Amino acid sequence: MPTPTDVVEALLFASDTPLEADRIRDVLELTDSDEARTLVDELRVRYEKEDRALAVVEVGGGYRMVTRPQIAPWLMRLAKTRTKARLSRPALETLAIIAYRQPVSRPEVDAVRGVNSEGVLDSLLERRLLRVAGRKEAPGRPFLYETTREFLVAFGLRDLNDLPKVDGELVIPDMGGGPDGEAQAQQDPGPSGADVTTRS
Amino acid sequence: MTTAASESPSSHLLTLRVGQFEGPLDLLLHLCRTNEIDLAALPVRSITDQYLVHLESLEFQDLETAGAYLVMAATLIYLKSKLLVPPDENEEQLDEEGEALRHELEERLREYARIKALGSWLAEREAEQALVWGRTGSELPTPDDVPLEDLSVHQLERALKRLISEQARRRPREVQPEPMSLLERMTEILAVLRDTWSLLFSSLTGGERRRPEIVVTLLAVLELVRLGRIRTQQTELFGDIVIERREDSPGDNVPLSADPDFQGGATVADSH
Repeated sequence: MPTPTDVVEALLFASDTPLEADRIRDVLELTDSDEARTLVDELRVRYEKEDRALAVVEVGGGYRMVTRPQIAPWLMRLAKTRTKARLSRPALETLAIIAYRQPVSRPEVDAVRGVNSEGVLDSLLERRLLRVAGRKEAPGRPFLYETTREFLVAFGLRDLNDLPKVDGELVIPDMGGGPDGEAQAQQDPGPSGADVTTRS
Repeated sequence: MTTAASESPSSHLLTLRVGQFEGPLDLLLHLCRTNEIDLAALPVRSITDQYLVHLESLEFQDLETAGAYLVMAATLIYLKSKLLVPPDENEEQLDEEGEALRHELEERLREYARIKALGSWLAEREAEQALVWGRTGSELPTPDDVPLEDLSVHQLERALKRLISEQARRRPREVQPEPMSLLERMTEILAVLRDTWSLLFSSLTGGERRRPEIVVTLLAVLELVRLGRIRTQQTELFGDIVIERREDSPGDNVPLSADPDFQGGATVADSH
């Protein structure tokens, strides 16, 4: 008979997306998610102790079975063409802005970067690292963007709290220019203020 | 100044080459870093000169990017011009407006510096993840309840566009019959009259002829009467019209020509 840990191992092997503790709880009919986490931890310890080629990592709000970095040279040789495409510096900076200030519109991203970000945003959407979160109630009703679970997985992050803390608040520069815009920003501290409290 | 910027060891975090800047802020930040300038006390005068020197050596791929650099140049020059006004040139004194502008610039620079740092942090994470492989495609059957978490408006939009284009391809097109022209109808009537002396209007419009065609036929008959090619008789109200060939007609050699107004009439009749 397979032990619950064995079952968890099989579940992780068969899943192509991070498996949440809640899902493991449901599948194994456990009483709570902590029990599921304990099982995953047992599996993790087992892998480490036996120095296996696989490891269990927590990314994107779930667990995932991956190969260990030490195995990478052989996998590269196996895949030959599968060199993972890396993001450009503008793409990484755009992702950083959106990761911290989401949901955020393109004009706001442009304002921080000082250049047009349209092409970068399109390619990030195409790679599903971003998605449209809605529209901003501002002139032109621009799309609002936010990061996806794929973003967390691609960067090996458990959740957005895994992002490093930034000293000082990330300020979106006033785009209107002049004192009018400043007054407007002060009038509307609502959404940005709420964001900061949830993040810290 | 250009040589100083490219030769001096820039911040160990970032190595930048002239012409490879991400934008005006990137260039400005690079200048501050290479000169070890404290962002809190931005020396407008020297930074403006350096910025302009760099600007001249840059090649722009598009107008928008060039514009972004120029806007920054304008801001810097404006700030510098403000500095030339105070009597004591050794101290950088700005009026309230200039001070606010410089403060805003400092904020943007600091903000951009933070974003750059975060970008490099993300790059490190990405590099780590590049050494790790996970399962990509699951062979598990698709669950009945599709998780809704990673859906986006974009996907809906794409799906809708695909549906619309598919429908456009499948939809049977309604074929509109060419409306018969007045001239054709006149020629047709004369062709029938070549073999017979007279004929009934109903024989021309019988069968499956549709309403617009009846109108065109009537117009054709009237036009032929006007040209003196045929004669018509109607013995009773709403009775059938008898069409006869005229013996003294100008002859078949005269080309038929319909009044353009009558041609137009045919299309008007269509809309009824």
